Amino acid sequence: MLRSSLFRSTPFRLALGFGTLFVSAFLAMGLIAYQLMNAELSQGLDNSAREIWEVVAATNADGDIEDIVGAVDNYARLSNGEDRIFVLLDPAGNRLAGNFTKPPTESGLAVLSAEEAGLSGEGNYRIVSGKVGDNWLSVGLSLAETDRLASIALKSMAWALALVTVTAFALSAFLATRIRRRLDSIANTMDDVSDGKLNSRIPLIGNGDDIDAVSGQINSALERLGALVDGMRQVSSDIAHDLKTPLNRLQMVLETAAEKIERGEPVSSDVAEARAEGHQINETFEALLRIAQIEAGARKARFAEVDLASVVSSIGEIYADVAEDDGKTLTVLAAAGSDDWVIGDRELLTQMFANLVENAIRHCPEDTQINVSLARSGGRIVAEVCDNGPGIPLGERENVFRRLYRLDKSRTTSGTGLGLSLARAIADLHGASLTLEDNKPGVKVVASFPTIGNTIGQ
Amino acid sequence: MRILVVEDDRKTADYVARGLSEAGHVCDVLMDGQDALFQAIRNAYDVLVVDRMIPNLDGLSVVKALRAANVKTPVLFLTSVGGVDDRVEGLEAGGDDYLVKPFAFSELLARVNALSRRPPVQDQKTILTVADLELDVIKRRVARRGQPIELQPREFKLLELLMRNEGRVLTRTMLLERVWDLHFDPKTSVVETHMSRLRAKIDRPFDAPLLHTVRNTGYTLHAAL
Repeated sequence: MLRSSLFRSTPFRLALGFGTLFVSAFLAMGLIAYQLMNAELSQGLDNSAREIWEVVAATNADGDIEDIVGAVDNYARLSNGEDRIFVLLDPAGNRLAGNFTKPPTESGLAVLSAEEAGLSGEGNYRIVSGKVGDNWLSVGLSLAETDRLASIALKSMAWALALVTVTAFALSAFLATRIRRRLDSIANTMDDVSDGKLNSRIPLIGNGDDIDAVSGQINSALERLGALVDGMRQVSSDIAHDLKTPLNRLQMVLETAAEKIERGEPVSSDVAEARAEGHQINETFEALLRIAQIEAGARKARFAEVDLASVVSSIGEIYADVAEDDGKTLTVLAAAGSDDWVIGDRELLTQMFANLVENAIRHCPEDTQINVSLARSGGRIVAEVCDNGPGIPLGERENVFRRLYRLDKSRTTSGTGLGLSLARAIADLHGASLTLEDNKPGVKVVASFPTIGNTIGQ
Repeated sequence: MRILVVEDDRKTADYVARGLSEAGHVCDVLMDGQDALFQAIRNAYDVLVVDRMIPNLDGLSVVKALRAANVKTPVLFLTSVGGVDDRVEGLEAGGDDYLVKPFAFSELLARVNALSRRPPVQDQKTILTVADLELDVIKRRVARRGQPIELQPREFKLLELLMRNEGRVLTRTMLLERVWDLHFDPKTSVVETHMSRLRAKIDRPFDAPLLHTVRNTGYTLHAAL
């Protein structure tokens, strides 16, 4: 069942247009051929009429008309039916010889109908007339043969035209219906998607044509959309779950405080605890909002050239002492002033590196060596944050980028479980890749940025 | 000080107005953007505390209109929209500071105080002194009791900010923004670490501490009372 009228479909209209064009071209071609053929045929007829006239006229001798009368009579007798007509008139207009009576009175070429020529048959004659001595000689050839040829040509052309028209339009309709059907399958799929069936896909024919290619692209977009929606569902339930715990704790603290107040006990420690819980909940929301805003991409409007080396070295300046106080060593290997410029947002890039360094500081044991380095490699700027701490199991390396995901061992340390998600969102916004690798031992976080030329080229 | 609070959430408005009154300020509360614009033009307020999302005329437009009308009253934006873009937008519209909800009142108070007494740029002194501590902004030298003190660049910036705000509380967030240019809440003790290093350099060798921690709020620098 087609979704809309065939006549309103684009492929059909297109095919119809081409069909019409094709038929018109054929018609024009036919007409020209017909005209040419007609001209050629009548030219031939005229020539032979003139030739016969010349031959007959040549038999004329001065003062003796016996020869020409004989020749005209012979020709007239030999002519098959009324194909060829001849007449010889004396100056008074009496017929001396021939098989018709009323020749034209003008010399030269003329066309006469059988009736005008005084014949019983039908059809037209091409007649050549002229004076031979004192007499008037007219030789006519029937146009029946050429007319027949012309009519055969016209008929065959009409048939061909009919055939071409029918074929063109049938083929158009057939192709249009086929394309229409495939477009309909796309439309049906999109309807399903609108209805919420995100796992619906456009069936592919597999011939690799343009519709298949577009369908494939739509399918992969749907794939990504589905994954995103699943991710969002996952995040929503994670948020609900993750926030329920601190909310429960907050409520318990408040209940305890209320009881203490009834008993007249001091509650300042409970209030401080409640405040800390509230702060934690707010922070989680804050981070989620920030990620959402970064992913929305509005910040790209503010992108400018940023010296990554200066971002990294300022991170070193800020965190080296923090790491030292925490029993770890932070070393930054990035010479400011080297050619490490990227297109981006300095504030966000600072936050990204801060998150990565803070992760290393917070989740590694004492005496860990943390290295931040910056290098150019294959047209990209590669920043690495490495530690020689306990590392992250292979199976968890992609999971840690998920929102609110926390490794079991770090559930006890404070944090929102959003630091790496935020870092990944910032990297994505900058067209950079952010991956976790094994530092043997420890974790190596690798951020690979496109250089300025490559960013503009994208 | 006379402060205008423009906030359409009754609870937040009360919370802010009560706190500011307790701190000794005169406080007007308006819930509507248009009213706020007229009032702010007609009356000489010292500080405006403006919510971004208010009825009739949003906070951003109010401040833009005020700046267009050449009203230079310092503005502190309040908002629940915690995005970085909004902060930049707010500052570009002519706001002077920005505070994201939810906030601790001490944070708001510290920022309002800092705004109201922020000296005009051209009047900024180049040699700052607090008690026996001296800081030369141009020569980038610090000395206490005539003894030179070596500071890292960030420590210098931190001390300069504290000295310019002598006696006023600077919150952790304010310090993060103004000294380290960090517009998020670090999970590690960035402020504490650097503050303790600064303290070790300017206070520990001397008997009278100048740098004081204000519990749950921030830090302040002033001579021993």
